[in-house]
Amino acid sequence: MRPIRRFVRRVGNLIFRRHDEQRLREEIEEHITQQTADNLRAGVTYVEARRRALLKFGAAEAIKESYRAERGMPLIESVVQDLGFAVRMLVKSPGFAAVAILTLALGIGANTAIFSVIDAVMLRPLPVEQGEKLLLFTWSARHDPNLRGQSSYGDCDDKETQCSFSVPFFQSTREKANLFSNLAAFAGPFDINFRCNAPAEIGRGEFVSGDFFSTVGLKTIIGRPLGPSDDSPTAPPAIVLNYGYWQREFGPGRSAIGQTVRLNNVEAEIVGVADPRYASLTPGKTQDFFMPLSLSKRVRSEWWGDADRLADPAIWWVVLVGKLAPSISLEQAQSALSTMFESRVLSGPRPIFGSSDAPSVKLLPARQGLNGESSYIAPMLKLIMAAVVFVLIIACVNIAGLMLARATKRQKEMAMRQVLGAGRGRLARQLLTESLVLSLAGAALGIGIAIWGAGGIAKLISSGFGEPFPFVIAPDWRVTAFIACVALAAGILAGLAPAFRGPRADLTFSLRETASSVPGGAQGRRRLRLSDSLVVAQVALSIVVLAGAGLLVRSLHKLQMLDPGFDTRNILLFSLNPTIAGYKDDQTMQLYRQLQQRFAALPGVISATYSENALLSGDWSASDVHLDGAPPKSNVNPATLTVGLDFFSTMRIPLLAGRAFVAADFASAHAARLVLEAAEAKSTTPGDSAKSKEAPAPQVAPVPVLINRAFARAYFPHQDPVGKHIGHGQHDDDPKGPLPGYRIVGMVGDTKYNNLRREIKPTMYLPLVENSANFELRTVGDPNALVQTVRGIVTETDSGLPVFHVRTQAEQIDQILFQERLMSSLSSFFALLALALACIGLYGLLSYEVARRTRELGIRMALGADKRHLMRMVLRQGLLLALLGSVIGIGAAFGVTHLMASLLYEVRPDDPATFAFVCFLLLLVAAAACLIPARRATRVEPIEALRTE
Amino acid sequence: MKQKADVQQGTLALMVLKTLDVLGPLHGYGIARRIEQISGDLLSVNQGTLYPLLLKLEQEGSIASEWGASENNRRARFYRLTRDGRKQLQTETREWEQTTTIVGRFFAVKAEDLS
Repeated sequence: MRPIRRFVRRVGNLIFRRHDEQRLREEIEEHITQQTADNLRAGVTYVEARRRALLKFGAAEAIKESYRAERGMPLIESVVQDLGFAVRMLVKSPGFAAVAILTLALGIGANTAIFSVIDAVMLRPLPVEQGEKLLLFTWSARHDPNLRGQSSYGDCDDKETQCSFSVPFFQSTREKANLFSNLAAFAGPFDINFRCNAPAEIGRGEFVSGDFFSTVGLKTIIGRPLGPSDDSPTAPPAIVLNYGYWQREFGPGRSAIGQTVRLNNVEAEIVGVADPRYASLTPGKTQDFFMPLSLSKRVRSEWWGDADRLADPAIWWVVLVGKLAPSISLEQAQSALSTMFESRVLSGPRPIFGSSDAPSVKLLPARQGLNGESSYIAPMLKLIMAAVVFVLIIACVNIAGLMLARATKRQKEMAMRQVLGAGRGRLARQLLTESLVLSLAGAALGIGIAIWGAGGIAKLISSGFGEPFPFVIAPDWRVTAFIACVALAAGILAGLAPAFRGPRADLTFSLRETASSVPGGAQGRRRLRLSDSLVVAQVALSIVVLAGAGLLVRSLHKLQMLDPGFDTRNILLFSLNPTIAGYKDDQTMQLYRQLQQRFAALPGVISATYSENALLSGDWSASDVHLDGAPPKSNVNPATLTVGLDFFSTMRIPLLAGRAFVAADFASAHAARLVLEAAEAKSTTPGDSAKSKEAPAPQVAPVPVLINRAFARAYFPHQDPVGKHIGHGQHDDDPKGPLPGYRIVGMVGDTKYNNLRREIKPTMYLPLVENSANFELRTVGDPNALVQTVRGIVTETDSGLPVFHVRTQAEQIDQILFQERLMSSLSSFFALLALALACIGLYGLLSYEVARRTRELGIRMALGADKRHLMRMVLRQGLLLALLGSVIGIGAAFGVTHLMASLLYEVRPDDPATFAFVCFLLLLVAAAACLIPARRATRVEPIEALRTE
Repeated sequence: MKQKADVQQGTLALMVLKTLDVLGPLHGYGIARRIEQISGDLLSVNQGTLYPLLLKLEQEGSIASEWGASENNRRARFYRLTRDGRKQLQTETREWEQTTTIVGRFFAVKAEDLS
């Protein structure tokens, strides 16, 4: 209690600057007077009495000092004193302060901006109650499982661990074991044809089990959440809207509760709106509404076929999360779950794994496991983070160099302080305080830069994705702690060199008047070498950043210059999904044909076509085929793309042999599909396979296909592929029935398919007779001018059919190159910043050198030295440092750039051209930076220089 | 002149408190003088520690101070014990007595006592 009271008083004294010097002085005076009076009584003279009193009292100044120490807090007081002095020193040299603070602000701001994006993408806790207790089910195995269907929706990274399970596995886990207090399944989001009052549109709906809301702790702000009762197949279909979607679609304040909407033509009632704080369990994913899992029987994805996703144990598609029951440990749950999982996947009528596949199930903390979306941007962010860390280090080294030069200028001041009794530690502390003041000011300014920068990066990323940035960038304690640590580290790093070098000075030497311009000397030499090495380090670091950025820029350039094999200019792309709007295959074909004709007839449209996937959109398909004459079951897996009429002429893909598709090809493909579907339906009905032999299958012609040149080169070398037959892929459980296969009718040129980086694979083009499609319109002028017209035509044809994903082919390419564009622009920006900082460092050093050697230069000139010679001398010194830094930097860059090899395209991580260019650029800028001080050296007036002594 | 001992570390506070307890409000010089007197002039109070100590005790709330007039009518700062200070004196006295008892036993101990 007493120490606390004392502390409070001392802090109070410190804050209110209560000194009471007067009181102490009076007390001392009184003390001595009384002592003197006592002594007088002993019979000595007044002078002697006073002398004895003073002697007895002791050193008054020392007493005052310890009295003051007792009254306040000397450490803090001296820190405050240092701070005040540091601020005054900086105010006295505003140029230096401005450069230093701005440099540090850029470094700290850039780091904070990138870190806050990383924080938002990778470090945020789950947006739910007790999110740390939520566990995710994952599985891994040596081989792919033997499944009838497997879907994942970007919740896990899918490289080492996967997290889709079957619904029966979910149900039995929930029923049999008392392991979990809560267990929920979810899947999606799916593109759903969402129709309320206005024309239909595509909404993104997530299937969730009835316990999802309670497990996750997700509440509704209006209405009720989905509950276990919604899991019943007979329950009336109900959905809960996401807050943002509710706001966008229904307007704020308007209740949507009780409204009926149509999801893929299934009626459902809106029963609630979810808490706005919840975005998604998987960071970066979004959904527009939640649907009960039971509804997946009726609201189906177009890819599912007829399979029963709720009952089939061989279709894995839901993600499972749960919280352990209170009495169960993680190990217990883990082992019980493993037993269950293995018995289910290794045995049964249809084993999903062989025992050699070593399938295993593992419970992971949900935050750690649900990293699907962030695993996509994480490597990019880490790379940029590395670049900005380099920039910050360069900035710090730069400031260290500047402060070192200043410390040399301030030698006399330091010597004076030492003479007056300041210890070396005290001086170092003061210098460190100065650099910390700089870095704190830099951090304060940097916060502004960071807010602006993080917003800019989010905007860049979201423009690349074509949707709002799905992560919430907001300062939290991690970001705050990061800024504090960075500012502190930067201050210490920048102040370290001068703090240790500064106070070490030969006192008498430094105090002599001429000290400031004495050339050389042992002390000067050593300090010089330190500042030289600081500049070399800056140059080397900036070379590393420049080299990395250079490689990324070259990769991007190569990708942009790449000929994808078709004409990418003036194409409008958009998607339609008639299947989920309720169309059957025949109707779909009719619709497409009709729309195609109407689009093609539009003024400004050269031709129109459609295909299953847009080229260079990231989507692609592949399928097993069997080449005639190959051993049984040795399939090959070419890429496939189903296309409409006029696809090749619209995309301007050259026809190399044979012919393009004609209308009859589509009829033929449709006929083949009907026969195959009928055969499949028969074989899946048990007991019918025997009967099907009796009725001979109707004969059907092979599906006409076109191939690309890569296909011909891979599978028909040195032959004319036109007219060749290709069989269906052969598998163990093939249905018996007609296998018409494919007939090649033509060959077209190679094009890049799903993205630009991927090598061109053998590709087979088939007539499109089903599914959703992406339309391509070749236009005369700007494709975007047609968007309204196109929307009008589609709505006119069917108001229940939303047009979505409208973009031009050029925008599409920009979108798939977004990662490369972002990385190359950000890294170039930071690399140029690094270059500028390094050159400012070089410039600062040389300027200081020239100023320091003014007398020497003056004498040289007086003795007849050539001006050009002096200029060369300064230039040589600067360029030698730059060259040395470059050599070291290149060595370091070789070590670093191979780490980013996977991000490069057709550029080796040690690409000599890039490295040479980077060095050239650096030396050029360095030469420019050296030129100014070099010219200044030639302008030294000998008389002036000697007179200043 | 006989060599005087300095006050042992930590005991000066106790002496100050006790002095104020017995003699009532005193100024700094008076405290120092009284302590030396009570010790039979065996102790010499170091002024360098006395004034900071008075400040410390005051900041802790054990004593309070105010200006007053000294014996010869001069302005002087008088210190007096507060209620907290009296309590502190009691505990510290108890502790000190305990310590001296223990140390006393050690001095009194003889080999045969322990056998």
